Amino acid sequence: MALQEDNLWYKDAIIYQLHVRTFCDSNGDGIGDFVGLTQRLDYLQELGTNTIWLLPFYPSPLRDDGYDIADYTTVHPSYGTLDDFKAFLTAAHNRGLRVIIEMVMNHTSDQHPWFQEARSSRDNPKRDWYVWSDTDTKYQGVRIIFIDTELSNWTWDPVSKSYYWHRFFSHQPDLNFDNPHVFEAMWEIMKFWLDMGVDGFRLDAVPYLVEREGTSCENLPETHAIIKQVRKRLDEFYPGRMLLAEANQWPADVRAYFGDGDEFHTAFHFPLMPRMFMAVKLEDRKPIIEILDQTPSIPENCQWCIFLRNHDELTLEMVTDIERDYMYDEYATDKTMRINLGIRRRLAPMMENDRRRIELLNGLLMSMPGTPIIYYGDEIGMGDNIYLGDRNGVRTPMQWNGGTNAGFSFADPERLYSPLISNSVYGYQVVNVDSQRRFSHSLLSWMKALIKTRNSYRVFSRGTMEFLRPSNHRVLAYIRELGNEKILVVNNLASSAQAVELDVQQYKGYIPIEMFGRNLFPRFGDLPYLLTLGPYQFYWFRLRRI
Amino acid sequence: MADETFLSDDLLRQLMSVGEVDLLVGILSHRSANTMRRAAHYIEKSLQQNFVRQRMAVISVDGGAVEDPGSDERYGDGEPGNNSYSKGLSTLRTIHRITAAFNGAPSPGLALRTILSSSDLLRAKACAVVSPATSSTSPEWVANLLRPAFRDNFDFVAPLYSRHKFQGLLARNLLYPMTRALFGRRIRELYSDEWAFSNRLGGFCLNEDVWHEEPVRSRPEAWMGISALTSDFRCCQVYLGEKPPPPDGAGPDLVEVLRQTVGSLFWLLETHQQAWMERKGSEPLPTFGPDHAVTAEPMELNRIRMFELFQTGVKELGPILQSILSPETLSSIQGIATLDQNLFRFPQELWVTMLYEFAASYHHSVINRDHLVQALVPLYRGKIYSFLTEFSEASAADMEAVSENLCLEFERQKPYLTEKWKAGVEVKT
Repeated sequence: MALQEDNLWYKDAIIYQLHVRTFCDSNGDGIGDFVGLTQRLDYLQELGTNTIWLLPFYPSPLRDDGYDIADYTTVHPSYGTLDDFKAFLTAAHNRGLRVIIEMVMNHTSDQHPWFQEARSSRDNPKRDWYVWSDTDTKYQGVRIIFIDTELSNWTWDPVSKSYYWHRFFSHQPDLNFDNPHVFEAMWEIMKFWLDMGVDGFRLDAVPYLVEREGTSCENLPETHAIIKQVRKRLDEFYPGRMLLAEANQWPADVRAYFGDGDEFHTAFHFPLMPRMFMAVKLEDRKPIIEILDQTPSIPENCQWCIFLRNHDELTLEMVTDIERDYMYDEYATDKTMRINLGIRRRLAPMMENDRRRIELLNGLLMSMPGTPIIYYGDEIGMGDNIYLGDRNGVRTPMQWNGGTNAGFSFADPERLYSPLISNSVYGYQVVNVDSQRRFSHSLLSWMKALIKTRNSYRVFSRGTMEFLRPSNHRVLAYIRELGNEKILVVNNLASSAQAVELDVQQYKGYIPIEMFGRNLFPRFGDLPYLLTLGPYQFYWFRLRRI
Repeated sequence: MADETFLSDDLLRQLMSVGEVDLLVGILSHRSANTMRRAAHYIEKSLQQNFVRQRMAVISVDGGAVEDPGSDERYGDGEPGNNSYSKGLSTLRTIHRITAAFNGAPSPGLALRTILSSSDLLRAKACAVVSPATSSTSPEWVANLLRPAFRDNFDFVAPLYSRHKFQGLLARNLLYPMTRALFGRRIRELYSDEWAFSNRLGGFCLNEDVWHEEPVRSRPEAWMGISALTSDFRCCQVYLGEKPPPPDGAGPDLVEVLRQTVGSLFWLLETHQQAWMERKGSEPLPTFGPDHAVTAEPMELNRIRMFELFQTGVKELGPILQSILSPETLSSIQGIATLDQNLFRFPQELWVTMLYEFAASYHHSVINRDHLVQALVPLYRGKIYSFLTEFSEASAADMEAVSENLCLEFERQKPYLTEKWKAGVEVKT
């Protein structure tokens, strides 16, 4: 299957997020690699996803899960070679799967040769590629992001006897984008991968590229100017490639990263994610409605990316203090589950392995406006291990079958990069791809059907959304519309059966057709449309005027 | 359980949408939909600030509802209280809005029954009832009333106010001391526009077959409070602060007030006869916040007219009073009515004896009960004239002592009421 020629392909994408290390080990060293990943591409095609987002695979001291890059133009030896990557990319493209890779522009590892040169002498030509100061008093008041580990955004460098600036870990010095050479060097790196054929970049830590005294050093106009420059070159030389922004900010602030359609193509909608979890626990649509009401419209050629879980903690930065306390109390009662301002758990354990709630949340993910992202393993309901430290508990090996090492590797179990999940509820013997492939009612089979349905109607990826706001606040209902395609989505957020009356007068005469069973429901008439829904049940109706 | 047929389809539909709540606030009013809408918004704000996680609903019950002609919006329309995340506030959940309007004569009892039924169907753990007027000026009261019922397992929560020594005179001179003496619990404000109750008490009251009774239709709060006291529900008081004056500054008609309050109290004595007769002495109730407060700033009052009405009333109502009061008591009252207004005092002992005789006569239905209560009006005026004159210079502490003495006098004479109550009487015509 060849890739479709469509520069707006990212709007119709269903992204599968994975780390090469976690997916499949082909050489028995206990670490996943590109050869192993290539062998498993059929699975991603079978699932119905059409885009792969790879977490960093570059050479790195791995002190921040690869986001501390020491060399941008090759592959970490544990994951294979550059040729392995090229073979993977070709195989993916042959299956109609696009590939997005990570690009960390804001900072490098302190092991990167650029930094080693920069710290070696104040006269070194690379010295000005990073942000240095003789004191640690510049940019006072700028918030510290990793509050659990960092006390300051400045760290003393004993080699060059001065302070360097870092918004993340102290071993991740920030690059100085006031130096035009830095930008050109980054563009050269991007060209390297674009020439190879990657379909897009997820740009990490975007808001922090530039520093200015007296500001929060976030979302500055100079940062936007840099993004615009990248986009301009991308459109000119590599049309059809995509930029995805990681900006954990309020929607109004993230909106600026779309510019006039001349900055990012897509950006994560961070505040929506915790509110989906909150709404289900509260049994009230209020959190979702409020955040989407506050989400500004974006240019026609742009798209939000939405997700339930990812490789990081479930971030609670974009919630109020009241909401954060509630989320902790409801989803992270054990303090071990908490890290930074978030919760380090996977989807299924957060839902207490309640299949109905897992389905409801995935139903929301697939029916809301935006490009959905599935985190590897969540499609089969994998569990986590909160005792592994940092966020490694949600980065355990993919569970392929119930055999040795879950089919992930043939290495001795002790050699695996991470222990497998092996408890009696989420262990690989119980939760794995092979066993779920065998049953049509498994979560995996259900996810395939969900994705297939979503992929069959472009209205999900490109249509408008209008809330119906019935008086029953435990029901979240909306109409997705694109031309003649109209879909009614009705979600029961409650653990009990609900009745709801929907005002669908403007669709009078339409016949709702339930999209999974293709059954006809009574035609919309003059009266409010009465529906009853079981606990956590949702309906997708295609509306047809026949 | 709630009587489903009593509720309209529209209300049932709204309740169905709400589901289950932790807290319910009912706003009672008559023909004041717009005031109520304002009040409801204040209440929502108070709930947002004080009960962040709870499931909550506000029900406004308006008898004879008349909407602002310029407004086509009901209180319940639209999405309630939107947040601004940038301002970082707010409750997590939707605060549901319910409206129940009914036409016809004003009936707080009918409105309360609607609230109780709604509370029952919504399975609210605690419910507060408030008036639109006070809710607009003191929204915090709602939260203060709800807390003891919701968090501390109290079944009935009565308010306590800070009042000027010459405000709340009926409560101070009659309702509080008499209720305290007879029912043995010290609830200062039984006749109030705001109170709260638990789902246990709400369910109990809803199942009582009293809703057609006039005293319950007109002053349901007193009936609810006395029901709580006499059925051993847990009662408490919560200090709310200064009671704002009525919005238009005009006081209600005294005859109507006495008919509703004293008439209701006399009726309650009948319906809870066994309970009050067994009680001896009185006990304080658990109180949240300071006990009530009294202020004593100088106040201009026109007392002369009050005394004239007392004298005229005693003279003109002689035959009626003769059928209500004992000869000794009537004679004493007629005696003091002849005094010069500067020398006039209504003795505490006489006041209590007289009231107990009124209560007993009400019980024995010596005359039409409505007329009986109306006959009390001039005598009450005399008492209040005396009170205002006697204590015009009194400090707040003095007033407290006076009130306490009056309460003790009511308790001391309680056997007299019991005796009169039990005695057969000859109906005089």
